[in-house]
Parts: sequence; C-alpha cells; structure tokens
Amino acid sequence: MNPTGIIHAIQDNIARVIKGKPQVIEMSIVALLARGHLLLEDVPGVGKTTLAHSLARSLDCSFKRIQFTSDLLPSDIVGVSIFNRQKQAFEFMPGPIFANIVLADEINRTTPKTQSSLLEAMSEAQISFDNKTYPLNQPFMVIATQNPAEYHGTFPLPESQLDRFLMRLRIGYPSPEEEKKVLDRPQLLHPAEELQPLLATHDVLLLQDQVDHVLMEESITDYLLAIVQRTRHSDLLSLGVSTRGALALSRAAKALSLVRGRTYCLPDDIKELAPIVLSHRIMVARTQGLRQRSCEQAERIIQDLVDSIPVPV
Amino acid sequence: MPFDQALRFASIWLASTSFIGLTLGAGLPEWLAALTGAALILALLRNAGGKSMGRLATYTLMSTTGWNLLVIVGFLGFWVDMLWVSGELLPAGVHFLMILMIIKLFNLKLRRDYLHLYAISLVAILASGSLTTDLWYLPIFLLYLVVGVWTLLLFQLTKHPEEPRILTMSVAMRPQPLASVSQVTPQFFWLANGLALATFGLTLVIFFTIPRVGAGFYQKGFGENIRTSGFSETVNLGEIGPIKRDPSVVMRVELSDSLPQQAGRLYLRGVAFDQYDGKAWTNRLNYRRAVSEDAAGTFVLRSSRSLTTPRLGDTIRQNILLEPLDTPVLFAAPFIERISGKFPSVQSDLTGSVYLPFPSSSRIEYSVLSRSNSLLPEDLGAEPGVYPESVIRHFLQIPSQPKRIAVLAKEITHTQRTIYDKATAIHSFLTHNFRYSLDAPLAEQDQPLEEFLFTRKTGYCEHYATAMVIMLRTIGIPARLVTGFLATEWNEYGNYYVVRQQDAHAWVEVHLPHSGWITMDPTPPSIESIGSGSPAWHALGRMLDTIRLQWGRFFVQYSAADQLAVVRELRAGSTSARNKAFDSISTLFSPFMAMFGGMADYVSKGTIQSLAEVLVPTLIGLAVLLWLGIRRPWVKGMISKKTTRDEQVIMQLYGRMIGHLDRKGIAKLTATPPLEFVRLTQERWSSAGSAVASITELYCRSRFGQIPPTREELSLAEDHLRDLMTLEKP
Repeated sequence: MNPTGIIHAIQDNIARVIKGKPQVIEMSIVALLARGHLLLEDVPGVGKTTLAHSLARSLDCSFKRIQFTSDLLPSDIVGVSIFNRQKQAFEFMPGPIFANIVLADEINRTTPKTQSSLLEAMSEAQISFDNKTYPLNQPFMVIATQNPAEYHGTFPLPESQLDRFLMRLRIGYPSPEEEKKVLDRPQLLHPAEELQPLLATHDVLLLQDQVDHVLMEESITDYLLAIVQRTRHSDLLSLGVSTRGALALSRAAKALSLVRGRTYCLPDDIKELAPIVLSHRIMVARTQGLRQRSCEQAERIIQDLVDSIPVPV
Repeated sequence: MPFDQALRFASIWLASTSFIGLTLGAGLPEWLAALTGAALILALLRNAGGKSMGRLATYTLMSTTGWNLLVIVGFLGFWVDMLWVSGELLPAGVHFLMILMIIKLFNLKLRRDYLHLYAISLVAILASGSLTTDLWYLPIFLLYLVVGVWTLLLFQLTKHPEEPRILTMSVAMRPQPLASVSQVTPQFFWLANGLALATFGLTLVIFFTIPRVGAGFYQKGFGENIRTSGFSETVNLGEIGPIKRDPSVVMRVELSDSLPQQAGRLYLRGVAFDQYDGKAWTNRLNYRRAVSEDAAGTFVLRSSRSLTTPRLGDTIRQNILLEPLDTPVLFAAPFIERISGKFPSVQSDLTGSVYLPFPSSSRIEYSVLSRSNSLLPEDLGAEPGVYPESVIRHFLQIPSQPKRIAVLAKEITHTQRTIYDKATAIHSFLTHNFRYSLDAPLAEQDQPLEEFLFTRKTGYCEHYATAMVIMLRTIGIPARLVTGFLATEWNEYGNYYVVRQQDAHAWVEVHLPHSGWITMDPTPPSIESIGSGSPAWHALGRMLDTIRLQWGRFFVQYSAADQLAVVRELRAGSTSARNKAFDSISTLFSPFMAMFGGMADYVSKGTIQSLAEVLVPTLIGLAVLLWLGIRRPWVKGMISKKTTRDEQVIMQLYGRMIGHLDRKGIAKLTATPPLEFVRLTQERWSSAGSAVASITELYCRSRFGQIPPTREELSLAEDHLRDLMTLEKP
C-alpha cells in the first residue's frame, strides 16, 4: 500500500465537498493518522459538520453524530443498561460513542458532567459502565465543534480538557470563487452522501502504525522542545504547553510528514503545526487584553514565538 | 575522549602489546628493548601530556630525510645482523621490525602512518607467536585482539578527519554542534569489547575446527631440558636429596581406566640398580635391546603368554605426558607390559626399565599398560623357594660393609620364617625406628649407610631403600634399588597426577621365589613434604597447572589427531570432569559466586555439555545483541554521527547555495525552516526556484531523513548549483 497515494486520494475526495480548504482537509487527516482528536472552532455554517461527515464517509467506518445540548446526559453518549425480561438481566445498550468517528456538535453547549464523560472516553479509548469496561472501536476519533461567536448558555471547555484534542482548527470563510462553486452544486442531497469510501478501517490502523516509524532526527526533537520551553517562559502566556502538548506536536509532525510523502520530519512540519497544535493548550496572560478565548490571538502568539526560534540546519 | 585521541592511544597500545609480546618471547637485546620502550612511552606522553610534553617530544624530531636515512641504515643493519651477528633470519627480522616501529612511532602524522604501524604490530605479534609456546602468550594475544578491534573501529570511524567538516554557512546560521559528534561513549566501549570477544570466540572455533597442516617454521622445544638425578647408570647415595625441594613439573599421569586414586600413591618406576659399592649404586644390567613392535604400533615388553606362571596382578593403564628431561628413561608404574607413543623405537634393559634411544627435546606423550606382580600364596607358605641363577648372581651383591649391618639384619629377622615375612620385618623396622629428614648431609660420609643406620637414624628415601636392600641381601634375599617418582599430587581439575622433581623417590624391589619382583617402600611418609599454605592456594595452583597443561595440549601441540580427539570427546560429552571443576571453582570463589548465584548454579549443574555448546550460543547471542543494537537508537545515533562523505558533500552544497542566495539578497533567517525558505525563494526569484527546491530536498533527506544521496543525485545537485550561480537575478 502506497500511503502517499491513498492519502492524496482521500484529500481529493474530501475536497470535492469542502471547497477551497486543502489545508484544513490535510490537517484533519493528520489528526486521524496521529490517533488524535480534532476540535473545530468556527462560526456556524462554514462546513465543520460537513468536514467531519466527509472524512467519515471517505473511510469505510462508522460515523455517529451527537448534538450536544444543555440537557444531554452522559448515558446519552455512553449508553444505558436496560432490563431484559427474557434474560432476566440488565443488558448494555451501547451509545453513539461506539463508532469510529464521532461528531460532537457544539460541545460547549452541554454540562461539564456530560463533557467530561466524552473526554474520558477520548483519552482512555474505553468506557466503564456498571463496573464493566467496554473498549471503543478502533480507529476512534472525536471531531468536536464549538462556536466561538456565541457564549450565551455555554459551558466553555477548560484548558485541561482542551488538552485532549490533538489540534484545534479554524475553517474560515471560503473565498468568493470557492463559495460560488459551492452554490453552483446541485442541492439534491447532502454533498457528503455521494462520497465513496476509499480506505478500510484496517488500513487506517496500518497508516497509524506507519506514523510511528517516521524518523524524527534528534535536532528536530530539540527544536520542538525549544518551542515548548519558550511557551513556558514567555511573558505573553500565563500557561505554557504541557508534556502532552509536546508529545502531540511530535506525533502530529510525524503524521504530517507521512501525509506529505516523507519518511522523516522536517523543521517545517513543526513550525507549521505549532500554532494549530499548541494554541488551545496555552493561556494568554491577562496583560494581553481580555480577549482570552480568541483563537486568533493565541495562534498569533505561538506563531511569533516560533518565528524567533532558530531551526536546526 | 574524542575519537581522534582515542585512535592515537589505541594505536600506540597496539604497538606496545606486540612489543611486549616480542620482548617476552624473543628476548630482544636490552638496548633495543629499552629504546623501543622509550619510544612507546614518548609517543604515549605526546598524546597524553600537555603542551610542554608535546613540545619536548616534537623537539627531538629530525627531518624526513634523516628518518629515511635511518630506515636505510636499519635495513643495512638487518643484513649485517642476519649474516654475521645473529646469523638467523627471524631474530634479525625481529630486530629490524623494532627499529621500524621506533621510526614509525616518531612519524605518526598521516593516516597511512598509522596503517604502517598496524602492519608492523601485526608482524611483531605473529613473530612473537612463532617464537614462544608459553601460557603468557594467551593474555598478550587477547590484549592484542581487544586493542586491535578498538583501533580498527576507531580508524574506520575517523575516516575523513583531513576533510573539512564545518560548512561555510551564512553568518546568520548557527554552527552545527559537531563537537559532540565523535566521543567514545560507554556504548562504544561495550560495543568494541563485545566485538573483540566475538572475534576471540570465532578465532577459537576456527582454531579448533579448521583442519591444520604443517607446523611452524621456527618450532622450538620447550626450552632447556629439566635436569634430573638418579636416572643415570651410576647414582651416588645422597644425590636425590638436593632435588627434593624443586617443584618443577616433570610429568603428568592420567589413569585412563582405573578410578582416580584420590589419596593414593602411584609409583612411577624409572631405573633399577643392582650394584652397591658402599657409596654409589650402579646398574650393571644396562645392556639395552630394542623392544619389538606389534602391528598396532605398540611396543610389547612382556606378553602374558610368555610367562611361566599366571600373573594375576592389577593392571594400570596410564597416559603420561613427560616433560623434556635429560634422561631417556620412560617412567611408568611397575611393571611395563605394553607401551605406545609417538616414538620410533624403545629399548629396555634386563631390569625391566624402558628407555628412548636418546633424551627427547620436547614434551612426549605415551600410554602404558602396567601390571604389578601379585603376591602368590606359595611365597607365604613355609617351604623356601629356589631362586633362578641369574637373580642370585646379580642381586645378592654386598659391598664390604662391616658386619654390623648383617648382624642387625639377622637380629631383626631371626624370628621370621618365610622370605616375605623377613622382608616385611626389615620394612617395618626401617619405617618405625627412623626419622625422615631432608637435612641429612650424608653424601660426604665415608660410610653413609652405617651412619644412617647406627648414628643419625635420620635420612631420606635413598638411605631407607639402600639400607633395606643391603639388609635383605645380607640375609640372602635378592633385592634391588629402584629410582623413580612417587606421585601423590592428584589434580582433581584435570584428573591427573602431577609429578614434580621433588617427587623423586627411591624404593626397593624384593624378589620372591614364586611371585617375582615385589615393590616395597621402607620410607616412612614424609611429614614436611606436605607443605605449607592454605588449601585454597594449593587448589589454585592445581587449577593453574591444569590450564597450563590444556594450553600446551590444545594450543601449542594441537595437531590433526588432537582435533579428532576433541571432536570425539565433544560427542561423548564427558561432563563429570567439568562438573567437578566447576564445583571446585564455586567453593573456591564462594563469596563471589554468591553474587552470581544463579549463574553459578547453572554452570555447576553441568548444563553445559561441551565447548561448542558454550561457544555457539555465545556467538549467536552476540550476533543477536549486535543486530538488536544496530536497531537501537543509541547505536543508530552512533552510526549516524559519523557523517559520510556524501552527506558532507550535500551539506556543503546546501551551505554554498544559502551563501549565494544571501549575496543575492535572499537571506535565510535562523527561524526559517528549509522548505519555507524554498517557498520564499520561489516567491522572490522564481527562476531559481526549481534548483533551490531540488538541492534543498536532497539536503533535507540527507540531514533529517538520514538517507544518503547517491552519486548521480549529488552530481545533479552540483549542476543545479552551477546553474544557480550563473543565473541572473532580475
């Protein structure tokens, strides 16, 4: 199996639905291959759900969508035990989390209790219910969306929980030309429905294994750690990147190298990924104004930090 | 320690090792040994010492022409040496080799100088190997092997030190951290030593398995023959005494079929004497005749069929390893029936002693079947037997002694009826009433025997034996004095008796009418010969002796026949001896063994069947370790730290490209990663884009992907760079 060809095919496949956002598509595949979860943070109506849907459709794997509301309960995600009269015993009915790709729409709309039940599943890749442990499907990827524009009636995820997401992406508005293409498309059915699956779940797992074999030269690891160190000592930030963040950046860089058809990482990979992998793991200091939750600001700070760190030659 | 310095050190050590080997083996002339030693120390100091030391060392250097002249002079000296001084090729060659080594040690500048030094060392260690067969060669050879592996590894790893490594990068770029590149890490240390060990294992396998042909050109004996006394035709009374303190090993005796006699004594008969003149014993029956050989190459002295009476004595089968002695006597337990070994002919005299035609100059191995005469019941009976005429003629001779001895003998034996009882009475008289002492200066006495019997009452084996023989003869019983060795020292590690010079002994053979010659030893067990020192120390000595024996047997004298024997033994899998050895080692080193308890258990349980079974898993294990190690990051790091030539070329190309673009106004900032810089260049100078992209791609692959570029790719990249240089920036 030629990983590069397959990955390009998937990218092209998704690009038929999501117009003009090749970078976002690439990064979502990186998140998948790095065994990470994706947080899409953008205004409504730019294709967050469609992206998740297209990704799931391109892979031959199960897809579930959970619309998070304020009255959603953990059992609505994880599943419930129902008394079975014939067997005279409780029976576990798996919830929507038992899928390969789970779209958690508007994750900040539900209560922290429900949020944490999802996040637990994300980090452990298993569910504990009634003293029993149920492993989740593999590959398992959560694509969560949240709306930064509207704060009314939301429960913002704390940084410690945001840390569980490999990367935070913004999709942004498409350019007028691309938007025109979207409008020109026949609206008979959901655009993602017409996509054909290209990759079996088994192959996804194989690709994920290949990511582990990508070579990260020692000097690049040093470069990565220099970036992480800098976030911890920066005056602009009140909370730096954790070790989990460094690990995430390393995994993401390896996955990106694979996606770009290389067997080794380059400093470019680190530099490109740093804003989207690290920006949701930091806290901007209050001296930088009160727009703390602004994605753009955090990404810009990381970008500036990275721009001041010498790359290995 | 940096690789370069480590290489210099290892090279000088290599030379030193071969020098030590030569000095120990060949006996270089003192001035040459001192000169070479001084040169080696100076070379070491030049590396280790500070600046002042280095200056001192370089100060003594002369010009290249001078050195070349010296080589020519040395070569002429070699001819003079060979033709007139030493008169032989090998010593002269060795001397010339040392002079070459001295010259090279002062001229270690280029890498090929080091190679020359290695070649000289190799020849030197080979020469020392052909000059010696001693055990010390083993540690020297091992040391040489270890240092050699180190040197070769380091030599490979510092392959291109003369080429520039630092690239000419733009000012803005950080210099590469190359200082940490070539250090001797602990991993390297273990890798090098592991490799040396593996090499040694392989050497052993090759040594033992590859069939060998021929022998060395300069095969020497085992040095001087050991001087013995008591085995010539005439032996003065008191001659054996002085050698009783000499611990040098004379022979080793393996008993092939009988059980090891742990506390037992084994008499190894040498020569018998019939005439005593009051001071010295003489063997008048020394007419030697050649012993006939049977079809199997065995020399048969007396076949059981030829005997008139059936002899029922015990047989002892022995394998004897005789060191080179100054006597042609072949020692064995009494009485030799058959003897076989690697000698063309064997002679025997009328007393049953066996000789080689002339003393052997090298260690000889022979096996003997001996059968002692058993005491027949007829001799215990009352009626006296009749002696043959020949026995009476030779073995009743008495010197003109005063009557006191005869009176004493009668006194002791007058109550006894049979010959055997009389002999026993004299035997017990001597054993119980006299004291064994080595301090008896009886040799100077006029009448040593009387002095011993009536005055001093102390003496050693010769006195006892002489006294008994003379006393027996005075009462008409034929007897003779026998010299030989009394083996008491059982080596449990190698399952053999060690016979030393100090085990030289004299005893008595009494002739009984029916049974024939019976061995009797009137000497009481010596008290002082037990020796001092702790048992552990003795055990260690015995173990060392075993090792020395095995060294001699398996390495020095290893022949095709031995090869077959080894293979046969490996197949038979004789574990008992090894178990014993391991048990003894574990008791000896019990404190240490406690540390490696599990290991010791494993070993002493005898799970190890044979040498091959140890070697093969060891080698496989080492190979697996190495293979795993290569996949481990640290080894990978170690290997990758050695930048290959091609990698350096592409890095230089990249550096030149960056420098060129910098001059054209496209500066690479420190924080700009390579691909981003390509995009930047493409934006600002699109025509250069493709060349920059291709060189950068190759650079990234080599630098971060550790995939070295091929020659074609390199030449292509060079072309691109040339194009780039000629390109005009708009």
